[in-house]
Amino acid sequence: MRWLPSAILLVAAALALANAGRLSSYWMHVAIIAMYYAILAASWSLLAGYVGLFSLSHVAFASIGGYTSALLIQWRHLPIPVGMLAGVLVCGALGGAIGWVCLRMSGPYLAIFTLGFSEIVRITISTEDDVTAGMAGLHTDGLFTAATRLPYVYAAFALLAVSLLLMGALVRSRWGLFLRAIREDEQAAAASGVAVARCRILAFAIASGFAGLAGGFYAHYIGIMTPSVGDLDEMAKLVVMTVIGGMERLPTAVGGAFVVQVLLELLREYGQWRLPIFGVILLLTMRFARNGLITPFWLQFLRLGEARVSALPAAPTLPQKEPGT
Amino acid sequence: MSGRAELVRGAGVVKRFGGIVANDAVDLVVAEGDLIGLIGPNGSGKTTLINVLTGHLEPDGGEVVVRGARMGGRAAHVYAGLGVARTFQLTQLFGRMTVLENMLVPGLTRPRSAWDEVVRRAHRYLEFLSLAGVAQLPAKNLSGGQQKLLELGRCLMLEPAVLFLDEPFAGVHPRLRDELITRIRELHQGGRTFVVVDHDMESILRLSRRLVVMARGRKIADGAPDAVRADQAVLAAYAGL
Repeated sequence: MRWLPSAILLVAAALALANAGRLSSYWMHVAIIAMYYAILAASWSLLAGYVGLFSLSHVAFASIGGYTSALLIQWRHLPIPVGMLAGVLVCGALGGAIGWVCLRMSGPYLAIFTLGFSEIVRITISTEDDVTAGMAGLHTDGLFTAATRLPYVYAAFALLAVSLLLMGALVRSRWGLFLRAIREDEQAAAASGVAVARCRILAFAIASGFAGLAGGFYAHYIGIMTPSVGDLDEMAKLVVMTVIGGMERLPTAVGGAFVVQVLLELLREYGQWRLPIFGVILLLTMRFARNGLITPFWLQFLRLGEARVSALPAAPTLPQKEPGT
Repeated sequence: MSGRAELVRGAGVVKRFGGIVANDAVDLVVAEGDLIGLIGPNGSGKTTLINVLTGHLEPDGGEVVVRGARMGGRAAHVYAGLGVARTFQLTQLFGRMTVLENMLVPGLTRPRSAWDEVVRRAHRYLEFLSLAGVAQLPAKNLSGGQQKLLELGRCLMLEPAVLFLDEPFAGVHPRLRDELITRIRELHQGGRTFVVVDHDMESILRLSRRLVVMARGRKIADGAPDAVRADQAVLAAYAGL
């Protein structure tokens, strides 16, 4: 019965997709933007939640991914998917480079460093208006020519699903175990044979690549890239989404992105007051539910159909030293 | 050590922290089958020497050779890959990961390791260390003594040639200390090599076949426990004991 939660999720996703056409254009837009943030939240949780690298440059990578794709398409007339792929690769390479530079940094030092990088990116994009069109915004080609937003809903869903499958495979592999070990204790991880530097660089590269993918999609959905895509308000929003959902699991981070984005829309009548409301929720989450508000529900959901733990074998035996070690 | 393979050699190891010389031209050879007790007063440089010999600190002078390979500048995980395992003075576990996951991490870093085989081996070691019943608990929930046992288990998952144990008996209940000593003896008889640092002289003397004494960053004695205990330099360093 361990397949039950997966089966429920699949059925729910199929039902949602089958009924997506019934949504109004406005709610389709909300769903698409929520899925954009969901990719960002999941990839940021990979970095901050799994490895403990509290980077504040994640939305800057989304911005770089979007601008890379938009500019390459403008200059080289590449197909949009190729432009998006180029954005992913550029972000992956840059993310790896940032990971390498930050190898000996953690906690507040890493946060300040990545904050500085993020601001450099934003200001450079704002200033170099000959290339990026600055604050006026860089117009981009749309991924689809259809009059409805429905194809974008499907595309966003496909990108989110593929991203989650790839990141999920990573965190369930031995590499996921190594990343969590690094989060817990870098020195002990190294003593256990984990190549800490390689893993940290890899985590930065992969998470930044997914941020670049989200940014590329956003650029070709919204139709215009502005420096505000990578500004600190956006990063703060991403942190709120991920922390409220639960930053140590991909699905809870995704859940946080959906819940916060939908609530932001539902609370629009409160104007700017909805932002302090989320600030208070964030503070309460950090104080009383550090694993996130969605995590307990997610864990309960996973227990559906879970088999009881089987008894362990008895009779202790002394393991012998392997030959040649 | 005639006829026995040399596993780790520290040659003229020098390590300074600002104006303090923590290791002052220390030579130490660990050969296959050794069970070394490394003792010395507080601040004598024992932990620094272990940190250097396991790749966690880069020496300022001298060199470290592991199984014939000069290790200059290599990262700690390379030492682990060559079969050099260690525990820490203050236990360092992956606290929010389960006991079993703590064991899997080193097992899975070994080349060509298969997940199922590593899980089976982890369960065997957990049985051996009397930790099988807590395999699914977060490591931070274990008692101090169980945490020391788990740290030893984590080392064993590397199938190491040599284990450096830094104060394994510190703060451990006497019953668990006896269990640790028994396990170390059994593992030594099974072919493992150990270097054990501790202040618990009774345990060290019960355990070790060779005693190395450090004082003020230097190695002042190295030999059979009975001979070392009668050494005047050692008695002077331990004046008052």
